[in-house]
Amino acid sequence: MALKERNNQAFGFLYDHYAGALYSIIKQIIIDNNELASDVLQEVFINIWRKIETYDQSKGRLFTWMLNIARNASIDTLRSKSYQNSQKNQELPDNVYKGVANQTTQQNVDNIGLKKVLETLKPEHRVLVEMAYFKGYTHEEMAEMMGIPLGTVKTRIRNALLQLRQYLK
Amino acid sequence: MNIKDYIESGIIESYVMGLASESEKAEFERYCDQYPELVEARRKFEEKLEAYAAQNAVPPPPEVKVKVLEAVGMEPRIAAPSTPPKIINMENQTDRRSSGVPKFLAAASIVLLIVMAYLYFQTRQENNDLSSANDRLRDKVNETDSIMKKIVGEQNAIRDSNTLVVNMVGTKVAPKSSANVYWDSASAKVYLVVKNMPQLPSDQQYQLWALIDGKPKDLGVFDATDNKVILQMKNTQKAQAFAITIEKKGGSPSPTLEKMQSLGKTMVTQ
Repeated sequence: MALKERNNQAFGFLYDHYAGALYSIIKQIIIDNNELASDVLQEVFINIWRKIETYDQSKGRLFTWMLNIARNASIDTLRSKSYQNSQKNQELPDNVYKGVANQTTQQNVDNIGLKKVLETLKPEHRVLVEMAYFKGYTHEEMAEMMGIPLGTVKTRIRNALLQLRQYLK
Repeated sequence: MNIKDYIESGIIESYVMGLASESEKAEFERYCDQYPELVEARRKFEEKLEAYAAQNAVPPPPEVKVKVLEAVGMEPRIAAPSTPPKIINMENQTDRRSSGVPKFLAAASIVLLIVMAYLYFQTRQENNDLSSANDRLRDKVNETDSIMKKIVGEQNAIRDSNTLVVNMVGTKVAPKSSANVYWDSASAKVYLVVKNMPQLPSDQQYQLWALIDGKPKDLGVFDATDNKVILQMKNTQKAQAFAITIEKKGGSPSPTLEKMQSLGKTMVTQ
């Protein structure tokens, strides 16, 4: 594969082909901060360049691999101290559930990409997917924060994701 | 495990979107090795997700690409930094470069491929021909070998000191009939050499008999046209005389003596 040999032209093509889709995901996680989202996109592509040897075709498509790099990088940024400090005026951590729920309703106006799909879900499902996919909370964290059993969290997320598949058809 | 239920459980979506736990991931990858339908379902979801993401793409600021290419050690072509035709520049370059030597190499490799295919088929054809010729030759050798062995065996039997030669002379019914019987009294084997026996209608055959104490014993049938050198007949331990009669095709249980063609006495008898 040309990419694994770090072919410059192939990498340029890769950027042109996928940057928009990945930028969209990054922006859905790092909201209302285009400058930071651009920095994350840059970091993501540098990481793709460095880690391309570790991409394993048998585990999924190249885009899936890149999408997960973009999502993880975005969530790491979201959870970093510097970002948290800049967002101090936001809700306190013990109020995250409410906070996320509020954010979700607030952002309906300019929803893009996958978040548009979430619109079709029931609120209790939507919040969980939002928290898991766009905020990076683990199932355990969500169960604890919301005071619902871990099994229920898992079931609801699975159901929500299945509905997502239907919608994407 | 029911793989259909597993596919419909939402695990595919969890895995692809990075929401599965480490143990779920490991399990999913293990099942992927076992169930091609799981891999197929995963691929479908991935394609949908990719198509959806592409539809909802948001163009990033152009300077990001410049920074990325600089960071990975490439010289980004800065034609007009705020417009994206950089892409076109690079693709054009690709096209121009591929028009010279690579095209020649592509053409050469196709020619080489055709030549090799031709040589391959030709060699295979020759090989097939040689192989079948070899088979035919081997069959011929085997056939000749078995005939030779048979002849040598018969010759040995005839030359054996125990073998008695009985000259069969024609009777009044058929004065010209003549044949020789070779009887090996030790092994009880009986051979017959037809010298001159008239042709018979197709529903009749000659039958050889051994006469023991006046009673005939069937030694088998033969045709006048039998082109074998020596016929091996049925064995007999005793015989005072041999007789040949004409019988219906396949032989009779007892000889039709009025049609006796020839008779020969062994020297053992009086």
